[in-house]
Amino acid sequence: MKHCPKCNRPYDDHETFCGFDGGKLVSDTAPASAAPAPPMNAPIKTEAPRVASAPAATDAIERIACEWCYAQNQKTALSCRSCGAPLDIRNLVSESGWREAPRIRDMTEIHFGMSTCQVEGEIVPVAELNLGQGDAVFFEHHVLLWKDDHTPMSVMPLQGGVKRALAGMPFIISIAHGPGRIAFSRDATGELVVLPLHPGMELDVREHAFLLASHHINYSYLRIKGLRNILFGGQGMFMDRFVTSDQPGLLLLHGYGNVFERVLQPGESIMIEPGAFLYKDSSVTMNVESQKLTTGFFGGTGMNLARMTGPGRVGIQSMYVHHQTD
Amino acid sequence: MSDQKTHSCPWCGLVTDASTLSCPSCGATIDAREVVTESGWAELPGRKDMAKLQFGSSFCQIEGNYVPVADMSLAAQDWVYFAHHVLLWKDPQVTITTMGLKGAWKRLLSGMPLVMTQAQGPGHIAFSRDAPGEMIALPLQPGQAVDVREHLFLVATGNVTYDWFQSNIWFTTRNGNETETHYPLGMFMDRFFTPNAPGLLLLHAAGNAFVRSLAPNQTILVKPTALLFKDPTVQMQLHIERPAGTWSSWRSWGNRYLWLRLYGPGRVAVQSAYTHMEDNGRNITRHSGATQQSWG
Repeated sequence: MKHCPKCNRPYDDHETFCGFDGGKLVSDTAPASAAPAPPMNAPIKTEAPRVASAPAATDAIERIACEWCYAQNQKTALSCRSCGAPLDIRNLVSESGWREAPRIRDMTEIHFGMSTCQVEGEIVPVAELNLGQGDAVFFEHHVLLWKDDHTPMSVMPLQGGVKRALAGMPFIISIAHGPGRIAFSRDATGELVVLPLHPGMELDVREHAFLLASHHINYSYLRIKGLRNILFGGQGMFMDRFVTSDQPGLLLLHGYGNVFERVLQPGESIMIEPGAFLYKDSSVTMNVESQKLTTGFFGGTGMNLARMTGPGRVGIQSMYVHHQTD
Repeated sequence: MSDQKTHSCPWCGLVTDASTLSCPSCGATIDAREVVTESGWAELPGRKDMAKLQFGSSFCQIEGNYVPVADMSLAAQDWVYFAHHVLLWKDPQVTITTMGLKGAWKRLLSGMPLVMTQAQGPGHIAFSRDAPGEMIALPLQPGQAVDVREHLFLVATGNVTYDWFQSNIWFTTRNGNETETHYPLGMFMDRFFTPNAPGLLLLHAAGNAFVRSLAPNQTILVKPTALLFKDPTVQMQLHIERPAGTWSSWRSWGNRYLWLRLYGPGRVAVQSAYTHMEDNGRNITRHSGATQQSWG
């Protein structure tokens, strides 16, 4: 086995680079003379509280590692504490390398900080949060389904309000504070994608696709560069960017239809329909390329596809928004 | 002597040995029983996630259950064609070009796709539509044809020919001096035909899909926008039904029901999530061949 020295994610021996941050992998087998190596970086230290209720280090061999978020779980657990992925079902990976987002069982509970999130329903799933004291989540106000009347609410101060309003992005991001219950859902058939963010991660998300994020995550937006990318990229001028500094966080997205993820190696490319893009690691570059489809007398039409180039993860949704291209 | 068990796929009829989990031709689960309603409509056979279908030297993997994706691994000599807006992703090395279509002006006027795109192997390419529903795999044997309502076709293999014909289901209404012509089924229907070698046709149904075989001269009324596909032997006609207790000059939808009457023999398939059919409720002045029924 190998692992990434930056984020400490485990990899098979045949892998060379980390799919998340592009770091060169190192072998797990330490020299015989070396003492057991302490964790190499902060992420592991901060990861520990999140799995604190998992078994102690003495029975590490009996833990189950979640294949979606890599969190460690009790050997008797049926679903991951951190992301809700079923632990007793193997990953569904197509031969072309796309992995289906884990299908979270109805009523699965996810833990973050002092709070829990229960995922309810399967066709248009609801994320119901029981926020603990001191915890908070932020969200776009139109995804709010219900809340206890005593759950405190506030508004997140955002920079570039005029730009955001002009670009059609949410002008107001709301925050719900614990203690209290609050629930969220979107307006279409799809899947909840639970993405626990480890410290030091940067994730870019299609605008309006995020459902909620925990308060340890920094929210900003990324201006898409290049006129072609703005006009034909299928998502306007901005993308949401979620960054964790020294604390882990929880990010929930709603993908239309089914959601698939693929890890691109450095320099590896894939062409996707721009309307299908859901999220990507910030290390993945996205450039729209056009192809003219001619039909002689009638001139034809154009097809725009986004070239995603690794290293990093790319997530797509199968029920995409088709954008008129020409 | 061989005591090897065989299995005949209830959906496409392919005989396989019973050791496989799903039919290699259409992906139907081998061990699932056919679910048929008392009225005779059969649900699509269950399909395991990531089921693989083979065509030519290539294969197709069907992924997901809400909005399924057809992920094709094309061999170098194989190609497929599709309407360009169903393309989800592709390997950079897969080349895409346009396919010549006759009658472009008529297709443009009737809102049908003007450009049909083709992709040539080798490489991976994937397709999906923009609504929750089911993926229907229709393996076509040499000499077999199927008629599909417009805009439902997802992708077909290169050895399936594509043509289209006028549906001839229409009626007109008048608004002052203006005459409006309505096409409840669409102005055209797609026809797919395999002349020589077996081919594969993939459709996307909105909601659930149900199929039924009509006996010769057996008839059934379906909502025009719910029709998915039919065998070419199945004939179609407009049916106008007026319920009892409505005032005939009232311009409302409740004044009449517009149906598609289908005559056997052959298969017909419907989808459960159909689009709303436009009818302004004005008096019908002319119509294609139709049957009528007034209750009271």
